[in-house]
Amino acid sequence: MDFAEYKDILVVLELDEGKPVNVSLENIAAAKAVANGGKVIAVAVASEEGAKVAIEYGADSAIVIEGDQFGTYNGDVLADAVAQIAAEVKPAAIFTGATATGKDLVPRVAAKLAAGAVADATGVKLDDAGNIVFTVPAYAGNVLTDVVIDTVRPQIASIRGGSVPKAEPEAGKAGEIVKKGITVADDQIRIKIKETVKEITESVNLEEAEVIVAGGRGMGSAENFMKLQELADLMGGVIGCTRPAMESGWISRAHQVGQSGKIVAPKLYFAFGISGATQHVSGMIGSGYIVAINKDEDAPIFDVADVGIVGNALDVLPIMIEEIKKLK
Amino acid sequence: MEILVCIKQVPDDSEDIRLDNVDKVTRVVNAFDTYALEMAARCKEANGGSVTVATIGDDSAVTELKSCLAVGAQKAFLIKDPAFAEYDSVAKAKILAAAIGKIEEANGAKFDIIFCGKEATDFAKGMVGIQLASELGVGVTTDVVAVDPVDGGVSVKQETETGYNVIEMATPCVVTIQKPDYDPRYPTIKSKMAARKATINEVEVAVDDAGSLTKVLKLYEPPKKQAGIKIQEETVADSTIRAVAIMAEAKVL
Repeated sequence: MDFAEYKDILVVLELDEGKPVNVSLENIAAAKAVANGGKVIAVAVASEEGAKVAIEYGADSAIVIEGDQFGTYNGDVLADAVAQIAAEVKPAAIFTGATATGKDLVPRVAAKLAAGAVADATGVKLDDAGNIVFTVPAYAGNVLTDVVIDTVRPQIASIRGGSVPKAEPEAGKAGEIVKKGITVADDQIRIKIKETVKEITESVNLEEAEVIVAGGRGMGSAENFMKLQELADLMGGVIGCTRPAMESGWISRAHQVGQSGKIVAPKLYFAFGISGATQHVSGMIGSGYIVAINKDEDAPIFDVADVGIVGNALDVLPIMIEEIKKLK
Repeated sequence: MEILVCIKQVPDDSEDIRLDNVDKVTRVVNAFDTYALEMAARCKEANGGSVTVATIGDDSAVTELKSCLAVGAQKAFLIKDPAFAEYDSVAKAKILAAAIGKIEEANGAKFDIIFCGKEATDFAKGMVGIQLASELGVGVTTDVVAVDPVDGGVSVKQETETGYNVIEMATPCVVTIQKPDYDPRYPTIKSKMAARKATINEVEVAVDDAGSLTKVLKLYEPPKKQAGIKIQEETVADSTIRAVAIMAEAKVL
């Protein structure tokens, strides 16, 4: 394998109503940082608008996938399409966001291309030989690893939101957009999506929130839990929760932070009545500033907090709202 | 339904894992694999068949395999490989794929469905299940919370950001399991005793091309955060007022 033939970086965009989500824009910035003279090419499914936005955020050009098989995300279909594009472009790397679909897509593409892959990277840089060194957290973020793929190309990775800041957009920036009709052979599609059900209608954008006001079991009841909304509104933030709070039926799964929920990295994270189990902490340890309130002074959440208040979350909440109002 | 559950031995993530103590932390079955085993056991109980568990590892993994025999598995296989800790997900998928052939031979039956946890709590890559399916040339669905047989295959429920998908796959196939809305069962004294006496089968596979494609250059601890301030004044109001003042000073409000 002649690495010199593999120059560019493909960024597979995740789109929401045709527009790239935040982590996809961040992926473009990450790709630029390690492009090493190659081009950054955005790949958008059926959205010229998405391609344009990607170019404004720094992509050199874009490929728009067209075809009637690309409706709801189907890992087999998109992986084959990306592999077809990669066979032509011969990219040095392929990046996508470490979302549920991104983490599903990356190993599928890697398997098709017999390429190396990493999941959930939080940093990228180049080594002296031009390989990308990926920073990948392990043990719930308590340990970091530096990983390279130095024997094959492309280097495929899902990159976690909040890891590499997106660039300032340049409105109307020029860049070639190539439309590409793709057909995926039937024998490559082994999963059939029979039904897509939407249960959660509220739009919760935990990954892009700058402030998260999260509650755990210590909130005690659904009614008490919803008192967090006032602080969230005051701070322009979004409500988060632990798995026990979700399982108690106080709030929908869309708000869950942690191992079986979302991994988030807001600038400010409030943890009300959250003890700090690893399953939760691993999802929010990347937050810029952590404020924890718990009545148990030995709660592990205090080990990761910048400011901790030992006290009942329900007593602290109204006072905190009043004090913050005074400052605003 | 003949079911295989692939499990991984990981350091217990309810303990405080650091770079310098990771080798000393108690080993347990990866949490997501325990959910996979519970779902597999319920699937078997509803539809007949059997549940086999397997892991790649050394003799120390016998403990975890036996613990699976106490909570729903009928057979256990240790895929013995002294170099297992060195392999990346692609290499592990290749070894599992080769071992599955041998396990099926020993069992005298082909697997209909292979369950994996959606990720392991140690490195959380979530890749082996998908790569295993690719090695076997079969379908795979991730983030699965329910599995039901249908004619010629299975219907699975995949958790999504906003709800769920109902997906059908022909068998054999692979599913990677997200936490469902029930917890794994506990062993009984009787099932524990039986598991202790059970035989763990061993298989060895020679995979020519098990070479890992990713290389870990180093492990290190993230930069230490400055120690936080824990406030416990006489009254909650005093504590809160002080905390807000500190937050204001840190310019986070």
